[in-house]
Amino acid sequence: MITVVGAGPAGLAAALSAANAGESVELIESGARLGGQYWRNLPNSIVVDQQALNHDFQSGKVLREKVQAHPNITVLLNTQVWRASHKEGISTLHTISGGTTREIRTNKLILATGAYDRTLPFPGWDIPGVMTPGGVQALLKGNNVKAGKKIVIAGTGPFLLPVATGLAKYGVDVVGLFEANRLRRWIWQLPALLSNISVIKEGASYLHALRKFKVRVQRGYAVVEAHSGSDGNLSAVTVARVKSDFSVIEGSQRKVACDVAAIGWGFTADLSLAGNLGLMQQVSLLDGGTYVVVDEHQGTSQVGIFAAGEITGIGGSKLSLAEGEIAGSAAAGSETNTSKKRKLAKFASALLRTYPVGPNWQSWLKPETTICRCEEVTLEIIEKSVLDLGATDSRTVKLFTRCGMGMCQGRICGRSVNDVVARISGKPASDADRVSSAARPIASPILLGELAQIPIVD
Amino acid sequence: MIFFFENNEIHAIAGQTVGSALLENNVRVLRRTRFEGAPRGMFCGIGVCFDCVVTINGVANQRACLVEVEEGMRVEGFQR
Amino acid sequence: MKQPDAIVIGAGVVGSACALGLAKAGLKVVVLDRGPVSGGTTGAGEGNILVSDKEPGPELTLAIRSRNAWFEIADEIGAGFELEAKGGIVVARTQVGATALSHLAKRQQRAGVQAHELDRSALHQLEPYLDPSIDFGFHYPADAQCQPMLSAAQMLKALRSMGGEVITGAAVRAIHTKDSAISQVVTEKEKYSTEIVINATGTWAGEIAQMAGSYLPIAPRRGFILVSAPAPNLIRHKVYDADYVANVASDSTDLQSSAVVEGTKSGTILIGASRERVGFKSDFDVSILRILARQAISLFPILASVQLMRAYRGFRPFAPDHLPVIGEDGKIKGLWHAAGHEGAGIGLAPATAEIIVGQVLAREVFMDASPFSPRRFIQESAP
Repeated sequence: MITVVGAGPAGLAAALSAANAGESVELIESGARLGGQYWRNLPNSIVVDQQALNHDFQSGKVLREKVQAHPNITVLLNTQVWRASHKEGISTLHTISGGTTREIRTNKLILATGAYDRTLPFPGWDIPGVMTPGGVQALLKGNNVKAGKKIVIAGTGPFLLPVATGLAKYGVDVVGLFEANRLRRWIWQLPALLSNISVIKEGASYLHALRKFKVRVQRGYAVVEAHSGSDGNLSAVTVARVKSDFSVIEGSQRKVACDVAAIGWGFTADLSLAGNLGLMQQVSLLDGGTYVVVDEHQGTSQVGIFAAGEITGIGGSKLSLAEGEIAGSAAAGSETNTSKKRKLAKFASALLRTYPVGPNWQSWLKPETTICRCEEVTLEIIEKSVLDLGATDSRTVKLFTRCGMGMCQGRICGRSVNDVVARISGKPASDADRVSSAARPIASPILLGELAQIPIVD
Repeated sequence: MIFFFENNEIHAIAGQTVGSALLENNVRVLRRTRFEGAPRGMFCGIGVCFDCVVTINGVANQRACLVEVEEGMRVEGFQR
Repeated sequence: MKQPDAIVIGAGVVGSACALGLAKAGLKVVVLDRGPVSGGTTGAGEGNILVSDKEPGPELTLAIRSRNAWFEIADEIGAGFELEAKGGIVVARTQVGATALSHLAKRQQRAGVQAHELDRSALHQLEPYLDPSIDFGFHYPADAQCQPMLSAAQMLKALRSMGGEVITGAAVRAIHTKDSAISQVVTEKEKYSTEIVINATGTWAGEIAQMAGSYLPIAPRRGFILVSAPAPNLIRHKVYDADYVANVASDSTDLQSSAVVEGTKSGTILIGASRERVGFKSDFDVSILRILARQAISLFPILASVQLMRAYRGFRPFAPDHLPVIGEDGKIKGLWHAAGHEGAGIGLAPATAEIIVGQVLAREVFMDASPFSPRRFIQESAP
C-alpha cells in the first residue's frame, strides 16, 4: 500500500504511476476535488466551458478521470492530515474527515503538498480587496466567480500572465499587469529558457491575448501601497518604478483605481507535513525558499518517504508531473528515466532566475505596515523587539511579538519576518531559522472535540 | 439554495464556497481583527492565510474560502 | 580579561531576575546564555504566577513573596510583559476531592493566601462556560499571569540600562575554580575572571554544576501545552482541577495529567497540563494531546467546538524532592544555584532572586531559605 498526500499534478501522477505498477494506492486530498491549485475545476453543479478558464484543462481532466477510475486507487477527498510523524520506517498520518479522525500507518509515503502564492507585505496590504493571483484564480476556476470589477495584477513571475488572461477573457477590466522584473533578465537566461519552446509559446500566447484585451503590461513596476475608500474596501493602489534590486524609485509613484489587487511573488512550498515527518530541508540559492531535499528518484532523508512537486522546488506543472511519476515508480520499487525531469528542472531554475524577488523590497515598508497579518504585528513592533528587547533571531522575535503565532502559523509572514529581522539585526537568517519558521507540529487546525473523540486506550 | 450571513439571505449554488458566494453578493468584509478592529476579507483565497475566518453554525474560525455552502447555513462574521 | 562582579548563566526568567537584583545592589553583572533570551524553559512557559497550587511550606512562602515582587518589578521597570492579576479558580468534582481542596484552602489561608469558597452559582458567575455539573471550587484572587519571554527580556533591558551586559549565543565551555572557589568562566569568545557565578540554567543546571566540579540532580519533566485558535471571552481565569497539586508532587514516572485551562490577553486559550519523565524526548505524543483535550472539554464543554491551533512542549526542571534549588553550592564556594523550579519558575523567579542577592551580599533574606539549599544533595553526590 502506497499513501500519497496531495492530489495536484505531482500527487495525481504519483498515484497513477504507482497504481500502474501494480500497487494499491490511497490518495489523500484535503480539498473537495482532485486537481490541487493548478487544476482547479468547478463542481458539477456549475456548468461552464472550463476550457476557456484554463488552457491546460483537458490534460488535467484526463488525469483526474484516470485516477478516479483506476481500480487500485482509493481517493479520500475532504481529508486533512493534521499531524504526521515518522519512526523506524513507518509514517503515521493523523487525518480528519467530516468530523471523524483516523490514523493511517504506511511504510511508503509520497508527499506532494504543493505550494501557495508568496506574498510580500506593503502598506495597506491588509485592506479587503488585496488578494493573491492564486486566490483570484481559485474564485474563477473553482467557483466561476470574478473577484472584482477592476483588477490590478502585480508582483513577479510567469503565473501573473494566465491569471490576467483568464480574468480578461472572462470580461473583467484588468486595469494593468505590473511585473517588477525587467525583460533583460529573460535575455540573460535565454539559452536555458529556449530549451522549453512549448512554455515560451504559452507565454507568448498570453501576452498576445492581453494585447487583444488591451491589458497594459508594465515591467519594472511594483504596487507599493494600497488605499481604501470610505467603506473600508480597496479603492486604489500606488504603483512605482523599482530598480532591479526592488528599491523604489522616488517620484515615480502614481495611483491606479481598482477594487481588487492580485499580487504574488512566486510561490512558497507548503512544508508543514514535511516538517512533521522530519524530512531534511534546505534553503535554495535560486529563490531563497526552503524545500525538501530529494535524490534523483525523489527519495527523501527518511526511509520510505518520497516527495514530489513544488515542495522539492518551484518548477511548474510539467516538472511536478514528471517528479510525481518518478516518485510513484520509485515507491513501487521500479526506476524510471529521469532525463526529462532533469531537463524540466533546468528550465524551472532558469525561470526562477528570471523572476527573482529583489533584496531591497523592504524599501516600500513603513513603520506602521502590518508584517504578521494574523496577530497584527507591525514593522515597528518587530524593530522594537530587536533593537530594544535584544531579540537576535526570528524565533525570539516570534516569542516576543506573537509574529507567526496566529492562525496561519507563519505561512504568510514567515519568509518575510526572516528577511525583516535580518535587515534590522544585520544578521542574515540562518537555514535553521528559515526551516524552523515552517515548523508546525499541528499541521492544520482541528477541533478540540474532534481531537478528543477517539477513545483512549489504556 | 439559500444560506444566511448575519441574518441576511444569500443565494448560492451548491458546490461553491461561502466566500465566493458572499463575494458575488458584494460582501467583501468578513470580519474585524481582534486587536485593532481592522476589516479583513479573503486574501490568499486558498485556505492558507486564515484571514477569511467566519463562524459557521456556531463553530468559529472556519475558512470561508474553503467551506462549501449548505442549505440553511448560518454564517457570522468573527465576533464574540 | 573581563572582570565582572558576577556572572549569571541563563538568560531565562530566573537568570534575568537574579541579574537585575544583583545589578540593583550595585554589582557589575554579565549574563551569558548559549542560546537567545528565553531560549530554554522560559520560552515554553505559560506565565503562571500562582499561590493557589502550593501546599503550605517553604515553597508557598516563596510563592507569596514572589507574586507580590512581580508587581513591584513591573512598577519599577515600567512593565511591558502583560502582567495581570487574573485570579485562579480550582474546582473539585468528587466529594473526596472537595474535602481535600477545602482542607488545603484552609491551611493556605492560615499561611496568608486569600481563598474564597465558591458554590455552584458563584462558580458559574465567575466562569459561565464551566460544565454545569461542577458545583464546588475555590477562588484565589492573588493568582496572576504574565508573558514569560517578555518578562525576561524587559528585566534584561533594565539590567542593560544599569550597565549590565547580556551575551547571547555564548555557551560556557569551562568553569575554573581555585581552592574549591569560583575563579573563572570561559566561553568560546571570552574569559571572565569572577568569584560569583549564578547557575540559572534550569533544566540543564546539572551540566553547569558538573562543569564547576559539583553535582546537582536536576532532571527534565516534559509537558505539553495546547493553544487554541483565538476564542476571546470564553475563559476568564486560570481554571484547574484540584488533582493538579497531587500531580506536581508525584514521584511517579508515569504520565501525570490533569485539566488546566486558561484564557489569555491575546484571546487564545492555553490547555495543560501533562508531566512525564522521558528525558529530553522531543516528539509530539498525540495520545497525550488527546488526553489534554478531553480533560479540558470535561471542564468546559464549549471547548469541543474550539479549534486546536498549535501545540508546544517544554522541559520543566525538577529536583528529586520537588523543591527549587536556591543557594550556595555545597562544594564550590561562589557557585550559587537558582534552578529546579519545576513548573513554577515564572512565578518564583523574583523571590528566588531576592534570596540569591541577600545571600550573596550576606544580608537578611525574607525567609529561612535552608530548605532550598543545594547542600541537601551533598550526600548524594558522586565521589
